[in-house]
Amino acid sequence: MTEKQEKKSGWRWGVNRWFVLAFIVLGAFAAEKYPPIQPHVQLPPEPLTGTLFQVLGQDFAFTNTMLAMLIADVVLLLMGFAVYRAVRGGAMVLKGLPAAVEALLEALYNMTKGTAGKWAKFIFPWFATITLLVLVANWTELIPGVDSVGILHHSEHGYPVQDLGFAATIVKPAEGGESHGEDTELFSLIPFVRVLSTDLNFTVALALIAVVMVQVAGFRSQGLAYVTKFWNTKTFFSKPIFGVIDFGVGLLELISEFSKILSFAFRLFGNIFAGSVLLFVIGSLLGGGGLGFFQVGFLMLEFFVGLIQAVVFGLLTMTFMAQATQGHGEHHEEEAVPLPEKI
Amino acid sequence: MELEAATILGKLIGAGLAMIGAIGAGAGIGIVTSGAVQAMGRNPDATGTIQTNMILGIAFAEAVAIYCLVVALLILFVF
Repeated sequence: MTEKQEKKSGWRWGVNRWFVLAFIVLGAFAAEKYPPIQPHVQLPPEPLTGTLFQVLGQDFAFTNTMLAMLIADVVLLLMGFAVYRAVRGGAMVLKGLPAAVEALLEALYNMTKGTAGKWAKFIFPWFATITLLVLVANWTELIPGVDSVGILHHSEHGYPVQDLGFAATIVKPAEGGESHGEDTELFSLIPFVRVLSTDLNFTVALALIAVVMVQVAGFRSQGLAYVTKFWNTKTFFSKPIFGVIDFGVGLLELISEFSKILSFAFRLFGNIFAGSVLLFVIGSLLGGGGLGFFQVGFLMLEFFVGLIQAVVFGLLTMTFMAQATQGHGEHHEEEAVPLPEKI
Repeated sequence: MELEAATILGKLIGAGLAMIGAIGAGAGIGIVTSGAVQAMGRNPDATGTIQTNMILGIAFAEAVAIYCLVVALLILFVF
């Protein structure tokens, strides 16, 4: 029994390193034969289908970032089921993926407990959900085929293609690329899956959810007294000068709530979009041969950027929610509505 | 053709100028980290709290650089 488990749990370096080496060599040869070229970068996500239906007069089409969203959701659900089965299995010490998830969630929960105290139970699900979703979404960037497998379509920015039988690939135009004939058709690529965080719609939606939940946390913990954070007229008449200052500070707080949405959305979007453009450009610059190997360094950089951005998004949400529950200056703890045991 | 070339030239120069703002964020992140590392050296027990606050500070400082980056990307790919 124990032998079997040990055999299964170990990462088989003896065999796997040859696979890794084979993939590196294969990648170098593939890059030699079909040099990677810089795709046409565009900000809005590309629609995969035509207009499906209309929402409020706007065309709605299924885009490639939506497909990435579905993939991220499925991955998260599978992770959840794996952990659920492991916990139901009754093992005292989890192994493999469930153990990693347990360690991650424990670290996140301790962080929440340290910052938010008794409100940790309310805040933690939002923190952990946002962190995990953004983490999975960011790391799809590292999978081969994302951003590079898709539908070819005619485009003036495109490149000539070569038929491979089962599929077609975009090839680099020959030297003096301007002189291809009139009959050469130019194509560019719409990838099936594009990294979720490079879509502003996703990051703005997530930022809106986060900021709205900050307000919900404030109202749940302090009741209507939370409004005085923004509309502070308590000292307006009793202390002539400081009252006015307090009122102005409240208005500034209101503005800062809106600027939170902006900075949440653009931080995640900017980091990950710039990262994927960086990967495109470095890939096309290094091109064929062994130089393509150095792309690995940039993939590692993107690995860390994806992790850090996911943690920062979650951590900021958690900190803002914890701040909203604390009120400012006065002690609202006594008259605060007690949190029900089950959430 | 002249106008097109001038437009591209303007875009590239503008995007480059927009990224100058990243200088401030870089210096800011350096200062934040240096302070945090010194604090951790003085009081290793408080590492957890300091680290959380450090990451928050870095995120705020970085946000400015990200705004510059977004402006540069907008100039390059949207307009």
